[in-house]
Amino acid sequence: MRFGLIQRIVGIFLMAFSPAMLPPVAVALIYGDGALEPFLYTFIGTLAAGILLWLPRRRDHRELRVREGFLVVTLFWVVLGGVSSLPLHFSAAPHLSFTDAIFEAVSGLTTTGATVITGIDELPHAILWYRQQLHWIGGLGVAVIALAILPVLGVGGMQIYRAEASGPSKQDKLTPRLEETVRAFLRVYLLLTAACAVSYWAAGMTVFDALGHSFATVSTGGFSTHDASIAWFQSDAIEIIAMIFMIAGGISFALHFQVVKSLDPRVYWRHPETRTFLLVVLIVSLIACAYLLMHNPQANVADRLMNAAFQTVSVMTSTGFATESFADWPGFLPVLLIFVSIMGACAGSTSGGMKTVRIMMVYKQGMREIQRIVHPNAVAPVKLGGRVVSDRVMEAIWGFFAAYLLIYVLLMLLFMGAGLDQVEAFSAVAATLNNLGPGLGEVYANFTSVSDPAKWVGIVGMLVGRLEILTVLALLVPDVWRH
Amino acid sequence: MNLLAVQRVLGLLLMVFSLAMLPPAAVSWLYSDGEFDTFLKGFVVVFAIGGLVWFPVRRRHRDLRRRDGALIVALFWSVLGTAGAVPLLLTSSTSLPVTDAVFVSVAALTTTGADLIVGLDVLPESILFYRQWLQWLGGMGIIVLAVAILPLLGVGGMQLYRAETPGPTKDTKLTPRITETAKTLWTIYLLFTVACAIAYRIAGMGWFDAVSHSFSTVSLGGLSTHDLGIGYFDSAGIEIVTVVFMILGGANFALHFQAFHRGTLKHYWRDTEFRTYVLLLFWLAVFVSVYLLVADYQDDRGTPIRSAVFHAVSIMTTTGFVSGNFSDWPGMLPVLLILSSFVGACAYSTGGGMKVIRWVLLTKQGVREVRRLVHPRAQFAAKMGSRAVPEKVVSAVWGFFSVYVVVFAVLMIVTMALGLDHVTAFSAVAACLNNLGPGLGDVATNYASIPAATKWVLMLAMLLGRLEIFTLLILFTPAFWKK
Repeated sequence: MRFGLIQRIVGIFLMAFSPAMLPPVAVALIYGDGALEPFLYTFIGTLAAGILLWLPRRRDHRELRVREGFLVVTLFWVVLGGVSSLPLHFSAAPHLSFTDAIFEAVSGLTTTGATVITGIDELPHAILWYRQQLHWIGGLGVAVIALAILPVLGVGGMQIYRAEASGPSKQDKLTPRLEETVRAFLRVYLLLTAACAVSYWAAGMTVFDALGHSFATVSTGGFSTHDASIAWFQSDAIEIIAMIFMIAGGISFALHFQVVKSLDPRVYWRHPETRTFLLVVLIVSLIACAYLLMHNPQANVADRLMNAAFQTVSVMTSTGFATESFADWPGFLPVLLIFVSIMGACAGSTSGGMKTVRIMMVYKQGMREIQRIVHPNAVAPVKLGGRVVSDRVMEAIWGFFAAYLLIYVLLMLLFMGAGLDQVEAFSAVAATLNNLGPGLGEVYANFTSVSDPAKWVGIVGMLVGRLEILTVLALLVPDVWRH
Repeated sequence: MNLLAVQRVLGLLLMVFSLAMLPPAAVSWLYSDGEFDTFLKGFVVVFAIGGLVWFPVRRRHRDLRRRDGALIVALFWSVLGTAGAVPLLLTSSTSLPVTDAVFVSVAALTTTGADLIVGLDVLPESILFYRQWLQWLGGMGIIVLAVAILPLLGVGGMQLYRAETPGPTKDTKLTPRITETAKTLWTIYLLFTVACAIAYRIAGMGWFDAVSHSFSTVSLGGLSTHDLGIGYFDSAGIEIVTVVFMILGGANFALHFQAFHRGTLKHYWRDTEFRTYVLLLFWLAVFVSVYLLVADYQDDRGTPIRSAVFHAVSIMTTTGFVSGNFSDWPGMLPVLLILSSFVGACAYSTGGGMKVIRWVLLTKQGVREVRRLVHPRAQFAAKMGSRAVPEKVVSAVWGFFSVYVVVFAVLMIVTMALGLDHVTAFSAVAACLNNLGPGLGDVATNYASIPAATKWVLMLAMLLGRLEIFTLLILFTPAFWKK
């Protein structure tokens, strides 16, 4: 571990991140809402801190090692999460405590969308814009930054991609040349955001809301500029648009790129993971709709179907937009949706959770074990899309699955230790670890009412979830810290 | 598949099982509680059914193969579980509906010990004895299952123990030597039971209670002859005896066998699983004690340490004795205890849960995966003791783990759909799948209040848990039934 090198990279992170404070300044100027100063000061402070860290080490152009990559990726989220909390802490309007500001910022940056603020509608436009923008930058970070910034610093991209997405989609590198890849990524991300914003606007949102919500939709974040979330607009068209772009945000950006290049949408359906993801969305929506109608036969079928589909998409892509409170749905539906969020959408997207492909592999392996008991000597390799998945990758997925569940249980116990009841704790872990946002019970609409220790558990959950758990666990291996 | 031979064995099993009605009949005669006829009728009915099943195929003396073995154990618990309900239906002292009678019988025979009879203290002695006796018989069945069937099928990596078991289980047929092993282990089981009964008597129980509780202690069942369970006696001495024999019952019986065979005790500590098991129990008890002390929890039994130790051991070994109401404990404790039952006891014991050895292996695998992230090219072998564990066993254990988790989640959703609330569903499914017994919420004291359909689902959970899931699941695959 060469800390000088790490220091230089963190400095560059800070310098690169500081301009993120400027658009809110512009918004503050346009709307004259007086929330200008915290952003300006944070910009200056962040830039200065970045330069101070970077300057002494600016000539350190050594190659980053894999082990250091784990720390760099972890620091990316931790440091930027800390920095982006500053305007929220110092601004006059929400005036959040230290803990609350960190929670809100980390929630934004990790595209979780859990909030500690009530009375969102009355906040200054600059703050509202800032929260949405955090999602957008975070989403970018989830999919891209590990590929974009670090290679520029001279990193062998593969290792970092490993650290960022310790999953099976390593071979889905877009094009061999990384910088080109990043530009492609960015283009698709911008294209989706623009398409989403224009659609929202056409469907009746103001320009401000349309942009803000497009940020939170494509990044599958879930912050809104209204307390009532998407339900505030009372518009079927807006809900349908939100659903389409949440699904788009839940699909691998590598796939989007292929589609943009080949103009052949069948690519989506040919991709086993995407197909499974869409099927699960469909099945769960239908189950939810049927159960809702069973409980309330007088309800409007189209309306129930719409809400069922919307909540399913929102939860499974770990967005967390709400058109109605799924926490108040009858019977097993709330828990079913929480389980679905543990599954999550596709690898290579901005969503959270374990990712569909891993669940598919775990399922296939489970089936293989059952077959093996019946036919102990049969050789049946696990396949994905016709390709044999190596034992090495399978074991990595098992490890991930088990680690995820254990962290889940651990965080749940910690939440309960911090005062939440069982249902709240169970759902609060899903809300944070899966980067979902809303939970059940007290933590459905926001995390305002939970204790400070519980908020810190949530912050850890969001970060660990975003780092795909193993990245953090790798830091516990003593070898990582050796010179 | 050799269905006629299976039918023959099933008939024989039923006829042998009918003899189990005679000891309670003797008890009834001894205490003249008026249930003599009930058990005599029960004997005749079960014997007749067994005879009818057996008679047409009595000459089918073919050797049983692996798959037949799986079918027989599945039938053993489901058919005998149902047959065990016969006396409970015939008696007039409890007017149980069919569902409840079968539930009690299955819960006893799988050594789950989930109770739904209220007013135990006024029941006739023979009925009380019968329930305890069923658990004891179930415990004997588990030993055969563990020695003969599971390693043969390779369920969840249990071939791991093949080489270590006292007796060759490498053949593909159920050989007479397995019977020999089983007989030896049964002898140990019997000795423990006698020792436990005498210890209870010395600690102050009457003979009837001492024998009854020794049955449910050594078999890790957990049913009692009193509504208040072990708490009825309110005696530290009795609780100590219970704790000691629960720990012994939850240890690997092959270790006990060696202790008797060679007259040594050192090998206990050399066994990785046993060491982990004892350490886990120890730390769980310490943690619960400290938590209760810090939370300043008061019950009417003096220091909470006594309750803490008792419940930690009772629940992690999946016995399910209670001496107070642990579901009212503060914070994370109730959920933590329920979760500890997922760890369960050791393999080759009468306990439930996933078994300590699998957790040991999973932990080692998980650590290996994390180290692999840091050293991508290094070769690490997962070791158990000093031997490397074959990849096939490792993947079988992973498969077991994930299928266990998925089955748990599915059953939880199903029970919630049938009307249980979140906390009750979570704990009831855990308590039944892990063969524990008591849960939280509505099932904290007993299962009387839940809907009948849910009881059937929970019975399925008990059977799944007892048969280590795979043995039952493979019966639902088409491959199993192919010639």
